[in-house]
Amino acid sequence: MTQEIKTVPFTYEVLSQLEMKEGILELQIGPAHAGSGHMRVLAWVEGDTVVKVDPDVGFVHRGVEKLSEDRLYIKAIPMVERPSLVDTVNANLGYVIALERLLGLEPPPRAQYIRVITAEISRIMSHLYGIAIYGIFMGSSTVFMWAVADREPFIDLLQELTGARVTYSHIIPGGVRWDLPKDFADKVEVALRYLENRMKDYEKVWINNPVVMARSMGVGKLSAQDATRLGVVGPNLRASGVEYDVRKNDPYAAYADFDFEIPTFKEGDSYSRLLIRVEEIKQSMSIIRQALKRLPEGKVIYEDYYKRMSPLMKEIYDKTGRVKFTLMLTSLSPPKGEAISRVEGGRGEMFYYLVSDGGKNPYRFRLVTPSFRNLPYFTHVMPGHKLADIPVIYGSIDYFPPEADR
Amino acid sequence: MMTFLYFIPNSWLPLLESAFYALIFPGFVAILLLAFFIIWFERKAAARVQMRYGPLWVSKRTGGIIQLLADMIRFSFQEFIIPQGADFIPFVFLPGLLLAFSVLPTVFIPIGPDYSHIFPSNYSLLLAVAFTLVIPVYLVALGWAADNKFSFIGALREAYLLVSYEVPFILAVASAFLLYGSLDLVKIVGIQEGTLPGIILNPLAAIVYIIAVIRATGRVPYDIVEADSELVFGPYTEYSSLMFGFVMGVPYIELYSYSLLFSVLFLSGWAPVTGIGFLGGLILPGIVTFVKSVIVMCFLVFLRAVYPRYKLDKAVRAGWSWVFYLALAALLLSAVVSRVLW
Repeated sequence: MTQEIKTVPFTYEVLSQLEMKEGILELQIGPAHAGSGHMRVLAWVEGDTVVKVDPDVGFVHRGVEKLSEDRLYIKAIPMVERPSLVDTVNANLGYVIALERLLGLEPPPRAQYIRVITAEISRIMSHLYGIAIYGIFMGSSTVFMWAVADREPFIDLLQELTGARVTYSHIIPGGVRWDLPKDFADKVEVALRYLENRMKDYEKVWINNPVVMARSMGVGKLSAQDATRLGVVGPNLRASGVEYDVRKNDPYAAYADFDFEIPTFKEGDSYSRLLIRVEEIKQSMSIIRQALKRLPEGKVIYEDYYKRMSPLMKEIYDKTGRVKFTLMLTSLSPPKGEAISRVEGGRGEMFYYLVSDGGKNPYRFRLVTPSFRNLPYFTHVMPGHKLADIPVIYGSIDYFPPEADR
Repeated sequence: MMTFLYFIPNSWLPLLESAFYALIFPGFVAILLLAFFIIWFERKAAARVQMRYGPLWVSKRTGGIIQLLADMIRFSFQEFIIPQGADFIPFVFLPGLLLAFSVLPTVFIPIGPDYSHIFPSNYSLLLAVAFTLVIPVYLVALGWAADNKFSFIGALREAYLLVSYEVPFILAVASAFLLYGSLDLVKIVGIQEGTLPGIILNPLAAIVYIIAVIRATGRVPYDIVEADSELVFGPYTEYSSLMFGFVMGVPYIELYSYSLLFSVLFLSGWAPVTGIGFLGGLILPGIVTFVKSVIVMCFLVFLRAVYPRYKLDKAVRAGWSWVFYLALAALLLSAVVSRVLW
């Protein structure tokens, strides 16, 4: 079932024409619907075939961009984590990299490695969550429960490292807040081995399930050309056969040091979007193992910030590896200018744009999230499919409404 | 027969027996108790697979088996909302009719050899199948009455699936008829006792029957009608309070009557146990039949832990292609086997 790109813009004239046509039923899926998430999907169906889909986003808009103009630079960190609650480390990392570019500082290599480790753990959790949502949208509560439960060992790891379970705020300008605990590497290995074993179960019950194959193969196809034209990002883009990953194309943190592959699939259908998440989990595991093996010695905070610490703070850092916030760190005022950063989040490329007027608050902060950029799947891929394919395509693109709404 | 009830006139006894049959043992009370068990089992088994506890806190000592009772109490204190646009009479009365028609087939399915002197069982297979086939009609009407787009789509899906899976179902039953040469379920069990269970004589018919039952009762992967991520709750979307409890229970009761019929048709019913009289001819064999059908039910509800949902168009295509061909093959097999055996 190939989809040609429909370039008809969404206007109310088009809408009313559609409503006038006989035999078309307008369905409002959401915002209180088991298959909508925190959004409303307006779907027009003719018989069982979807003729038009309009994603109505904005139900969980939090105003991160505007609110951060009113806060100190460092206080925006917990806020940028909020939109993508299952992938908080990557969201945090992107903002901090933009801020560091404004400040013109480079964190020490150990901090960069720790950032990579936490970011990859976060990616694994994000992909597991994506698989879980895909499962429940297709009617399998088993995979939903499994994947959500299998995030637990990784949440525990980051909880041990940071003390929080969801929003870690672990990455700060100049480094990270805590050094790794002593036996962290062993615990990570245990968690990774657990997940490796579990992935075999997933393959048996979910990935090789005939019903899953029947429902998702060939459904929601997007060719490589159309995917680049529509500007979709992340695993969805790679599932369409475009080899593009910010970690490789524009390396940040310590990603240039590691040896990993960018898995791609040619089909670009829902099933390949499921497979790519599984493959990326394997690549993330390999990156985490490499990073833990080659973890450099040294400080986890920018040298200059360390020097400005009081003797007590220095003592605490040397003993426990914990960075206490100096006044310098809490009241950053970068020089006038602007900076951008890009990171590869679990769902795709996250883009940050930060403007400073020399004050203590950002003058302007812009955040473009991958879920927002994956919205064309609703408008361009869903039409032409059956009504029952809406949740399948929705689940396969791992769309997260709060992330799109920011 | 029933000598312990010495104070009751002999002429009343058949009446009492029929009342017992319809209201207590394979009938109403047994169904209610079984509904408790099977819903508990479904949730508990799925929970076991999914690494969680399932119902637990209502009566922790028994593993939460009376969870359904707690749910029912909660439902009964909720407001019953009738949507403004709903067709009042069908909307309110159809759940009751659905419930009644899902219980009715159990009356025509014998659970013991002594059944025939309660109800004449010459055409019991035909009657049981006929009453199970009435239910979808009410379901479609119910989806229409609710005046909700999701209910309506659910009802249409039910209609589509009905026409594509009822034919294989009837063919499967017909091949059973062809195999045993009788519409009398008591005789059918007698034949199976003499030879082999029907599932060995004609496994194809049993497979087709099971697929049709999964479809008819909306078990996963054929929960296309209720499909929560697409249609909220299908035809039942607008129901609330105790009415929701009713419509939620209907598929389980349907499942019970289908499983009872399956165990009589293909699992040789009460096979090892047989006798005469009220106790030896009805209760003890009845327990065997009952246990067999409960095992079938447990298998069917467990599928929920394994499969996701199938898609409407593919299900309809499957119903008219390989399930249909399988049913035809079952018919052929029945003809061959009955020719060879008798």
